[in-house]
Amino acid sequence: MSSIKQIPVIEEKRTNPLARVFDELVRFCRSRSLFLLHYCTGCGAIELPPAMTSRFDMERLGIQPMVSPRQADILLITGYVSIKTLKRVILTYEQMGSPKYVIGICSCTVNGGMYWQSYATAKKLDEYMPVDLYIAGCMPRPEAVIEGLQQLMQRIKTGEAKGWEDYYRNYDYYLGNQQKLFGNDWQTPTDVITEAKHYDLLGEGTLGEHTALLEQHQQPLEALEMRLGHQVKEPAE
Amino acid sequence: MTLTLLDELLLFSGVTVLVALFLGRRLPAGWMVTILYGIQLLSLLKMAPLGYGGDPIPSTLILEVMGQTLSWRFDALSWYFALITLGSALLSSWYACGEWEQRFRQAGGNVWLFHLAMALNVFSMLILLASGDLLSLFIGWELVSWAGFLLMAMAGGVATRAAMRYITYAMVGAMAIFGGIALVYVSAGSLQYDAILTAVSQMGTPHLWMLVILFSAGFGIKMGLMPFHLWQAPAYAETPGPGSAFLGAISSRMGLFAILLVLVKLFGIVNIESLKIPFTLIDARDLLAWIAVFTIIFPTFTAMKQNDARELLAWHGIGQGGYMLLGLVVADAMGAAGGLLHVFNHATYQAALFMAVTAVIHRTGTSDLNKLGGLVVRMPLSFMVLLVGIIGLAGLPPMNGFVSKWLVYRSLLNEGMPLLFVAAVIGTLGTILSVYKLIHNIFLGQLRVEHEHIKEAPWSMMIPMLILAAIIFITGLLPGIPLAWVASVQEAVGLSVPNYTLGGVESASGSLDMIWVIGVLFAGFGIGALVFYSAGKSKRVHQLDNYAGGHFLTADIRYQYSDNFYAGLMHLIGGWYRGSFLWLEKSVKSLVEFLSLGMQGIYRRANAEFYLLSTALFVIAWVVI
Repeated sequence: MSSIKQIPVIEEKRTNPLARVFDELVRFCRSRSLFLLHYCTGCGAIELPPAMTSRFDMERLGIQPMVSPRQADILLITGYVSIKTLKRVILTYEQMGSPKYVIGICSCTVNGGMYWQSYATAKKLDEYMPVDLYIAGCMPRPEAVIEGLQQLMQRIKTGEAKGWEDYYRNYDYYLGNQQKLFGNDWQTPTDVITEAKHYDLLGEGTLGEHTALLEQHQQPLEALEMRLGHQVKEPAE
Repeated sequence: MTLTLLDELLLFSGVTVLVALFLGRRLPAGWMVTILYGIQLLSLLKMAPLGYGGDPIPSTLILEVMGQTLSWRFDALSWYFALITLGSALLSSWYACGEWEQRFRQAGGNVWLFHLAMALNVFSMLILLASGDLLSLFIGWELVSWAGFLLMAMAGGVATRAAMRYITYAMVGAMAIFGGIALVYVSAGSLQYDAILTAVSQMGTPHLWMLVILFSAGFGIKMGLMPFHLWQAPAYAETPGPGSAFLGAISSRMGLFAILLVLVKLFGIVNIESLKIPFTLIDARDLLAWIAVFTIIFPTFTAMKQNDARELLAWHGIGQGGYMLLGLVVADAMGAAGGLLHVFNHATYQAALFMAVTAVIHRTGTSDLNKLGGLVVRMPLSFMVLLVGIIGLAGLPPMNGFVSKWLVYRSLLNEGMPLLFVAAVIGTLGTILSVYKLIHNIFLGQLRVEHEHIKEAPWSMMIPMLILAAIIFITGLLPGIPLAWVASVQEAVGLSVPNYTLGGVESASGSLDMIWVIGVLFAGFGIGALVFYSAGKSKRVHQLDNYAGGHFLTADIRYQYSDNFYAGLMHLIGGWYRGSFLWLEKSVKSLVEFLSLGMQGIYRRANAEFYLLSTALFVIAWVVI
């Protein structure tokens, strides 16, 4: 979370008074319609079904589950992330369209929790991707989950939830941590640097030694080298 | 003796056959034949007043055979069908005569025979369409059957088997028609249309029943009506590409032409309606309507199950024939207009679809829907043509298929036939599902590695396809153009005419104006485009940058499958596909085999005394009685 505080605050200069109103309207609408992709890896997942279903009913807040990252706004990570899992989490996060928000649920995402001593667990999630909100507890009850989601909505409405911009501006930092864990040849299919240029979010920390290392090791994606592994049986006429 | 316009047309058509026959082996037959089809079409267009209520044009050729006069003439009905025939022949031949032909020759096909068969088909169809009495109709009918056989059988192998099956059915149909003609001759004493018209009014119910059954079975076999539909799909699908486009567009509509001529024009829908089926509430017309509706439903759902693109389309050809017949037997102004308009519309999109699928076969070498996918990035124009075609086939705006189906639905509602309406809509549901399978499995999804380097279809094939796509859209936007021809056809066969405008039809119970429909549709697209393009920059992502439950996709992982499409639906309705008609066909076949074995047994015995004795007995019995 410390890195989020380092984001230089850029005052938006809007001369048109209507533009401010419009921005607020957009933020309000955004906070009221959130699709949630839950990456449930640990015991915290068990608290989500009650939060989603009739008892606590998160859909009344405009939040509902989504099956693919392209359409999702929130990535919800419950419980410990092993190194193997973390690769998938990062892949999924990078595939989400901006603006996107990350919520870490349970103590494990905060500091490794009871897996602190494990060699296979990534302890702090926010070293690898910007986390907008933590909901601590082992495990947090559905009330806490709902409370956390409401707080995220509030932060979106006020424009404070800007973790996703930080990922582009300080990509080198996150990539460095990822490389430390996964090795120098770590790469994801998403080209984050091009995306940063695309969103005009190329900051001072976007490029650095780690991105240079990435460029060295990067293998180009070869889309069409595919084969059918097995012969599918023809359906009977 | 001056040649009339019809003589000119038939002469050109005959010349086309001769050119293909004698010059086709050495010179490039394709281009010559295509140009000759163009000339035929021009000569047909000189007869255009026929399409707007002009007087029939006779041929100077009149034959006297055994006291029967054989004559040929063109009226609005013939002109309308001839226009479709020549249009599809011109475009199919154009499509064939470029790169397709070279590939076909390399693969061991006989290009000369192909063009000859096409020219023969066109010639015989024109003769059939021009027939001026029942005898010349029968002659034309036989010519069309055998010419069709030649085109279907020329690919050899599976195609020959399918063509043999076709010709068996066609001969059974021809016998039925011949029987019908003999019955007509007995009661009317002549085979001229005028004489038949007067004779029909004095016919008794059993006589009329017999004729209706014989003629609708005979012509229905050519149309692929249930339960005589089994031959059509394999026969059309196995014909060489452009040939199947031509056959699919027009060939089986000859059956509809004959039904119109004999059942609607000569017998009259009113007379058919008067034939009540005892102990039920329905009459012969209802029976035909229900046959039409089942012809829509069953073949369409069979099409959904096909895994070969050509077979899928060929099965649809059968199903769409049902809509035409359904519209015709409803026989009010709108229904008949819808049924007739559907002949034109079906020809345009069916030819376009077969051509697009043939283009895919030309490039990839397969039409197996389980072995294609993702071709939209390699063949975008073919994709567009196929898209336009399937929208037409499914009967959705803005393409022309919507107009004709709308007219048929409207007439079913107007005439108070809700059950037929629901059944027709079920057929449309099956159509939409199966055409989605077609476009999805060929063009959408993941491109296969073996198709990475393929190119768009060559221009010689692309231009006819684009022309067809344009026709499909334009006649969808301005259905008044073909509706004018349809109206004069309706007048020619004695049906009432709808109040048509350039954009559709006007009626008290609900009008259709496609200009408005399409205008609103495109305004909607415009709003969508505005939202899309004003939403800021979009970003293309790589094919492997795809979500698979967080899994890293590598080149050897196939993340999109098109095999066994509609598995869930098939789980529900799969049990309904029992192959009952195949079983019926098989049992009839084995019955015939059994009987012929018995007959063979008698001949094989070669027992002279037995034959002598039985002949003597027979003669004595005959003399005594």
